[in-house]
Amino acid sequence: MTRLSGGLIDRNAPLNFTFNGKPYQGFEGDTLASALLANGVQLVGRSFKYHRPRGVVAAGSEEPNAMVTLRDGAWAEPNTRATVAELFNGLSARSQNHVGPLDRDFLAVNDLLSPVFAAGFYYKTFMWPRAFWEKLYEPIIRKAAGLGALSMLPDPDAYDKGFLHCDVLVIGAGAVGLMAALTAGRAGARVILADEDFRLGGRLLAESDLLDGAAASDWVAGARAELESLPNVRIMTRTTVFGVYDHGIYGAVERVADHLPTPGDKVRQTLWRITAKRAVLAAGAIERHMPFADNDRPGVMLAGAMRAFANRWGAAPVRKAGDPVAVFTNGDDGHRTALDLIAKGVEVLGVIDTRPQAKAFGDYKVFAGGRVTGTKGRLGLQQIEIAQGGKSSWHRVGALGVAGGWNPNVHLAAHHRGRPVWNDDILAFVPSDNGPSGLIPAGAAKGLGGTAQALSDGVRAAAEALADLELTAPEVALPVTTDFSQAQEAFWHVPGKKRAWVDFQNDVTVKDISLAHKENMRSVEHLKRWTTLGMATDQGKTSNISALAVMAELSGATIPQTGTTMFRPPYTGVSLAVLGGGDTGKHFRPSRLTPTHHWAAAKGATFVEVGQWMRAQYFTKDGETTWRETVDREVLAVRSGVGICDVTTLGKIDVQGADAGAFLNRIYANMMGTLKVGMVRYGLMLREDGHLCDDGTCARMAEDHYVVTTTTANAGAVYRNMEFARQCLWPELDVQLISTTDAWAQIAVAGPKSRELLTRIVDGFDLSNEAFPFMACADLTVCNGLRARLFRISFSGELAYEIAVPARYGQALMARLDELGQDLGVTPYGTEALGVLRIEKGHAAGNELNGQTTAQMLGLGKMVSSKKDSIGAIMSRRGGLGEDTRRLVGLKSVNPKVQAMAGSHLFDTGAAQTMATDQGWITSSCYSPHVEGYIALGYLENGDARLGEVITAANPLEGQEVQVEVVLAHFVDPEGGRLRD
Amino acid sequence: MTDLTPITALGAEAPRARTFGPLTITEVADLGLASLALRKRQSAPTVFGLSLPEPGKAVTGDTASAFWTGPGQWMIEGPGQGDSDFAARVKAEAPEASVTEQTDGFTAFDVVAATSDQIDALMAKLVNVDLSRFTMGHATRTGLHHMTVFIIRRADTRLAVIGMRTLADAVWHALSDAAKRLEV
Repeated sequence: MTRLSGGLIDRNAPLNFTFNGKPYQGFEGDTLASALLANGVQLVGRSFKYHRPRGVVAAGSEEPNAMVTLRDGAWAEPNTRATVAELFNGLSARSQNHVGPLDRDFLAVNDLLSPVFAAGFYYKTFMWPRAFWEKLYEPIIRKAAGLGALSMLPDPDAYDKGFLHCDVLVIGAGAVGLMAALTAGRAGARVILADEDFRLGGRLLAESDLLDGAAASDWVAGARAELESLPNVRIMTRTTVFGVYDHGIYGAVERVADHLPTPGDKVRQTLWRITAKRAVLAAGAIERHMPFADNDRPGVMLAGAMRAFANRWGAAPVRKAGDPVAVFTNGDDGHRTALDLIAKGVEVLGVIDTRPQAKAFGDYKVFAGGRVTGTKGRLGLQQIEIAQGGKSSWHRVGALGVAGGWNPNVHLAAHHRGRPVWNDDILAFVPSDNGPSGLIPAGAAKGLGGTAQALSDGVRAAAEALADLELTAPEVALPVTTDFSQAQEAFWHVPGKKRAWVDFQNDVTVKDISLAHKENMRSVEHLKRWTTLGMATDQGKTSNISALAVMAELSGATIPQTGTTMFRPPYTGVSLAVLGGGDTGKHFRPSRLTPTHHWAAAKGATFVEVGQWMRAQYFTKDGETTWRETVDREVLAVRSGVGICDVTTLGKIDVQGADAGAFLNRIYANMMGTLKVGMVRYGLMLREDGHLCDDGTCARMAEDHYVVTTTTANAGAVYRNMEFARQCLWPELDVQLISTTDAWAQIAVAGPKSRELLTRIVDGFDLSNEAFPFMACADLTVCNGLRARLFRISFSGELAYEIAVPARYGQALMARLDELGQDLGVTPYGTEALGVLRIEKGHAAGNELNGQTTAQMLGLGKMVSSKKDSIGAIMSRRGGLGEDTRRLVGLKSVNPKVQAMAGSHLFDTGAAQTMATDQGWITSSCYSPHVEGYIALGYLENGDARLGEVITAANPLEGQEVQVEVVLAHFVDPEGGRLRD
Repeated sequence: MTDLTPITALGAEAPRARTFGPLTITEVADLGLASLALRKRQSAPTVFGLSLPEPGKAVTGDTASAFWTGPGQWMIEGPGQGDSDFAARVKAEAPEASVTEQTDGFTAFDVVAATSDQIDALMAKLVNVDLSRFTMGHATRTGLHHMTVFIIRRADTRLAVIGMRTLADAVWHALSDAAKRLEV
């Protein structure tokens, strides 16, 4: 055990856990990383490419190395950073990316082959033979290089989403964030304080600075208590604000149950969209390291992380208690680590300071002007080589802290294309003024990293936010503390012949950057892609700036001249499951049920998704073994008797107003203003470009009242287009619109016996052909007084009606029609039969109105009225479009048992099948029980003049060719007598 | 009176009600709804004694309520009028205006809680609305689980969610799932 005294862990609450199957013990308050270190475990994983032994580098979410697979079975989550995984009783973790035991990884052979794996190796090495990449090279590389593996089991957890609104969002709850939240909270602003950690305090918990003469954690506890007492402040721990989006919306993930063994009834994580008027970016800073030879050995870590482990978690980063620790620094900050470790009783070898004039801040040795030039130790650090004054010597150490300066966490300030700017005083990029509007960077995130600086800058940032919101900032007393000296020199890496790691996670070394430079991959964008630097889960949090510095040195440019990195959301990895927000399977998207859904289900209907709708596809009867058998029966029943079908899904739009007729004249290509009250007319709508948009019927219920019917698919789009026309194109017209699709259940009653069936439900309404002819409509009552609407329209070509009643009565009406029509052979039919019926009749549907077709092609060119203007009318007559000679025809398979598939293209028999000889295509195809063979509809060059011709329908994808005869599109009753009887 | 038996939007003869901890969600099957849109140059009428509300607002009267749905447009609510020709009654109140029956275009759910915070907590999981401003008497149209809904704060502790009737099951799922999760 290398546990030290003190720390914010509860020694009365021991927690048992396993790592690679071996049992260990930690305490409440530990992370997996701190508990492993406290147990003397330095080796926690293998590196990405070379399978080098790796240990913990950092103490927070920036960790590049210590990634483990947490939990087992379906709960196994790869690439979990041990530094942010809260310890719980029973936790099990496994190391990743090795073959055989972690300490004897078979793939460590890759390290010997490292010259092969230099920067850009996969672009160079595996280019030939070309076909080998996908089949051979990529699978091998993927197996050898990589991080954790997925469980391949379905995610067992639930996720949630939500929305929050506030005046001031404070991102980060360290010194800056706490002061900002206290200031804004006391001013009465609605504050959300979010922190990725499970404990408030941020870096205050990692340092030994006293606040008001007491431990910082005491002050944090006081601040927390006050914030909790304010009803206008919401504290969200375990919540990472990962991105800034438009209009002041911030994305955040709350890890609700990741610290529990299993979530139980809780959701695992919640995605919050936080709308904030102002936000304070108090995200702190991340320390950088200084690459030197073999600097990736377990035991080499960031000096600030060492302080965090010692101060917050009481853990020394060495394998055996008593092993000495050294610090390698380019500034005063590294000396803090030596002081803190000494205070905790850890033996310190000394501080290797790159500055020749460096002096000690306490009782320890300083290697002024020194460099670390090498390390030894098979699975963990045992010795370091120190070069000083032209001499080199090896020293025994158990761990080495590296302090290369701090990089402000500018990430969120760099969203919305905010570009950070270089600050030569602190040798780091800081947020610029062109970041997301409303986001105020503060404290260490802005380059003000001293504790006292941070506390006062938190107040400043909150006051700025409050002033914007016209709230008065209260007087806030700052706790008394002092800033440790932050002097440092620009020192980026120790040059040498051996490999020095810049990016631990991606195994990118100084040599790789040098090679990229030689190969002219010098811009940061090229450098990143060529070397993979800054990719994967940590997105270069500990490596980007060091890499820039090395590239700058190689190219003789300054760091800002060399470039900076773009930061995009998310700040840390966000699971797709939480982005999805939780609803999966059947609830992934809502589905609309027709008013007769439950009746249809009871009738044994098979349902089909039609957009959002669930529609009855067909109603299988006992003894029917194929869907075709069922559909054929339904079709023939409609042709010979009567069928009933729920057609509620067709869009209905109520159009009222003095100018309703004038308005519809402009919406429809044909005349609607002349329609008589009590009559229905078929109408075509065009797009602005003259192509067909939608078709349907339009009924005139009163002088100033129409009901427009759209196709199911275009119900929303047509309503939207009409609203656009009403509000934006012709606001001068007196017209009012509203959808009534859901309000009325509409049932098609079709077939020669439909009149007889309807007679049995109407309340004394005269249905005779004279009183209620084809294309009539009326308000009436049915079933003893229920208000209804009746339309005599036909999609099937038979005598047919559609009857509408308030939706709540739809199911009862359907059941009543079914009951009363038994002696007439009444047959419920679904969308399949509906489709067959309309193909047999040659009626167009979505297949024929696919966005590439025109009214002329449908044979309805004359419907585009030239007596008035309407949307798309003029464009429909433009050159090219107006001359299209393809026409809708019927196509009958010469061999009636062979289907010509929809989508097949039409060619002259025997002709070459090329784009140049293409004669058109098949839009719809089905088996027609009426024709007793396969039929189709399609657009054919000069189709209306080619009746009787036999042509080829070709489906080259399936190697299919079918001979079809060109016939009229109306396979049933071409004269239209039936529907008018 | 018709001899057909109506069903509720959730497909039963009786409306559904469930309690989740402090929250009770009730399907309201007897709410009459009719849209009222002004004709050109018409000024807003008084309907059932109600002055039609401003954008974002709802008003409640003794026999009817109304909420704003767009410029010159309102939805008039008639509690207990779901089975009648409510639109005809509204038309009689405002004969100049365009009135359209909407009773079965939508379905209403009432969410009642013990405290306003409980309503707020539920809403935070469902709709992107600033709750501090969505106090009693406010109404808006917003997205909820990829659906369009009207929400009306009838009281601090009472929220109406009015969604499309054909999506009633999906609205119920969203509301009840969110309520259930607040119990944990």
